[in-house]
Amino acid sequence: MRYDFAEAHHLPNRRVPEQAHADPYDLPRQRRGVTPQMHGRYPDYDVLEQSDHWDAVTRRVVFERVSNVPEVRFFDGREAETLTVLADVVLAQDAEPRIPVLAYVDEKLFKGERDGYRYFDMPDDDETWRRVARGLDEEARRLGQDRFALLGVGEQVEVCHRFANGELFGGAWDTLNVSRAWSVVMRYLLQAFYSHPWAWNEIGFGGPAYPRGYSRFGSPHLDSAEREEWEGKEAYARDPVGDAQERGLE
Amino acid sequence: MRLRSVVKGSVLMPKDNDSPFLLDMHKRGVQNVDRMERYPLSAPVDLVVVGAGAGGVTLAQRLARAGWRIVILEKGPFWDPDRDWVSDEKGSSGLYWTDTRVIAGNDPIEMGKNNSGVGVGGSMTHFAGYVPRFHPSDFEVRTRDGVAADWPISYRDLKESFERVELELPVAGQDWPWGDPHSYPHGPHPIAGAASVAWQGALRCGIEMRVGPVAITNGVFGHRPHCIYRGFCLQGCKVNAKASPLITHLPDAIEYGVEVRANCMATRVQIDESSGRCTGVTYVDGDDIERFQPADAVAVCGYAIETPRLLLHSTSRRFPNGLGNQSDQVGRYAMVQGATQVAARFPQELRMYKAPPPEVSSEQFYETDESRGFARGFSLQTVAPLPIDWAEHVQADGHWGQALREYMRDYAHWTVLGVLCEFLPLPENRVTLASETDRHGMPVANFSYSLCENDKRNVACATKVMEAIWENAGAQDTLKIDRYAHLVGGARMGFSPDDSVVDSSHRAWDCPNLFLCDGSVFPTEGAANPALVIMALADRLAALLKAKRVSRPADALRKGGLASLRP
Repeated sequence: MRYDFAEAHHLPNRRVPEQAHADPYDLPRQRRGVTPQMHGRYPDYDVLEQSDHWDAVTRRVVFERVSNVPEVRFFDGREAETLTVLADVVLAQDAEPRIPVLAYVDEKLFKGERDGYRYFDMPDDDETWRRVARGLDEEARRLGQDRFALLGVGEQVEVCHRFANGELFGGAWDTLNVSRAWSVVMRYLLQAFYSHPWAWNEIGFGGPAYPRGYSRFGSPHLDSAEREEWEGKEAYARDPVGDAQERGLE
Repeated sequence: MRLRSVVKGSVLMPKDNDSPFLLDMHKRGVQNVDRMERYPLSAPVDLVVVGAGAGGVTLAQRLARAGWRIVILEKGPFWDPDRDWVSDEKGSSGLYWTDTRVIAGNDPIEMGKNNSGVGVGGSMTHFAGYVPRFHPSDFEVRTRDGVAADWPISYRDLKESFERVELELPVAGQDWPWGDPHSYPHGPHPIAGAASVAWQGALRCGIEMRVGPVAITNGVFGHRPHCIYRGFCLQGCKVNAKASPLITHLPDAIEYGVEVRANCMATRVQIDESSGRCTGVTYVDGDDIERFQPADAVAVCGYAIETPRLLLHSTSRRFPNGLGNQSDQVGRYAMVQGATQVAARFPQELRMYKAPPPEVSSEQFYETDESRGFARGFSLQTVAPLPIDWAEHVQADGHWGQALREYMRDYAHWTVLGVLCEFLPLPENRVTLASETDRHGMPVANFSYSLCENDKRNVACATKVMEAIWENAGAQDTLKIDRYAHLVGGARMGFSPDDSVVDSSHRAWDCPNLFLCDGSVFPTEGAANPALVIMALADRLAALLKAKRVSRPADALRKGGLASLRP
């Protein structure tokens, strides 16, 4: 893969069919700090290195998140196993280091924290999560395995694909509006994943910004005016190997 | 006016509100809590206000200056932004009303972070900051367009209130060409690269945009500092630059004797069965102890979900269906705005997370245009989701797994436009009580919502306009999310008890000393964000009450409150 991010060919909606899958392992490896699976576009950017510029309350909250991963208390062992696999598949966490998203989901459910609403045709979020775990294991049994975690990766992805499309039926799924269950699950997982500074490193997000704030937020008249000195530089726009070959330098 | 708008850091300050001077340059939040009045539960105060948001705090500040003794009950905490707020998306969830509401209908409206606040300052602590005025047409939609309802008041009734509140927030923006053209006390903020591409795209398809209007200081304003463009407006402004009643009105209100009781959930407005007047409010305090605060009058300012919920729960022999609900109007005509967003991808880095999310907007499509095939219109505004919101945006377009991660990694190249489509008020779009109860045993709200054909056409048209802007701006890819924003109506003001809950003076038709002063009284919603309008309504109501011009026998009122209305 070329790293010419001025172009948009790498984006899923823009890909030509023969490039159906952009391999994230073609991306630069992280050189500073951590990203999930150690790939990203900002190999020399570690948002945690900026923490001296954050207010103390925010710093505490963010560092707690990284260093003090909560124990699983809401889900039982089997549920946790199944849902951890679900979380890793739908967030494409296929290698270490992984953000322990399920631990944060578990903590939120354990503390009884909610997001402010429940669909009239859905149970409470905690019950939705338990039924999803049951439903995934039931799906595994239909495919000849006892638990979702024992399925092959391809099968797991395929089940998640049907989950996303609301195409799971029978057993636990018949007690849920499956599309809404997907949106409940994704809401919790995305919140857990993208609140983690490792994910901020991967996407180049500036992170907490008080009290420093920003002075460069993009003037059309200044080159590089969109970036503060400390913000991550996006990986070079060209793949140096390919570039060297193309220009006949080797 | 022209001169005023070009003087950066306006020297004009509000006359009857010292809040900006009661703050501390080097600390956040309210500094005069130590001096706050404490009223005993044994004697009636002049007014109990339920809800410390845009309506309640503004009303209390005005009336306190006229000598009223006032207690505000607030369900959530008394924020100290230095201690309680963080520059972090997930860590800000305490700002949102996250207790469960049941959502139903063909188009259930997701609640919580996007539209519901809790704590002193209300939803404005985490609103984006856009504070447009309503247009004159908004008050006469039935007359002009044959749909929805007219307001029992006109733009003229609110014009001076708009101006007063704009000076208190203060509002920064360019001279405004739409609706009733006007200027703002602070000049426009600089705009980020992310917003400027929307501006260029709009210009290329003949759409004019303007910078602002935002309730964010752009210069000296008492002891409030300048904005630092950190982009966390929706997570509570730790800077004191973005307005919320916590800093714009409450400090002055406290100075004039208003008491705020935080962590106090109102559960019932009590009435005297023989006279039908309300006698005060029962609430559960922070120690879970039930208390009753007697008062000569009650103002419910709990917004479009909690105001109807409290009224419906305030049943009595005299009002078995709830207070103010004799003609079955409470909870009806609740509204949200269609708030579809289209994100666009550009070759250069834009890093939309910097600078305030609200930057430039357009009201060119605000009014009815018959050629579009639907009544009323929409406004266009730039927004700028932080990573969690951006992930929800990507997911709404159908992506997960590697595709989601790919779009997320592309974050720096994206920017987002949103719309606010005026939806029509429908009687079936209603707040009722669910069978499920909260931890105080009070039934939670059930909010049912279904779009009508006009609403759907409006959203479809607005979406096409956003797509056209991005195409003209040279976007390489777009992602769309259908969503909704803002909550108004549910206890509307009107011309008669048959079609509304309160009259043009915000007074409940059924109960002479009960007032509603929040977004729930809106008969229609316009295509504007509601915060400024709610504050302006509170300003007007306070003026009416102070001047004894409410629609009741004037001699029943005496200086200093409504004591003579006491049963």
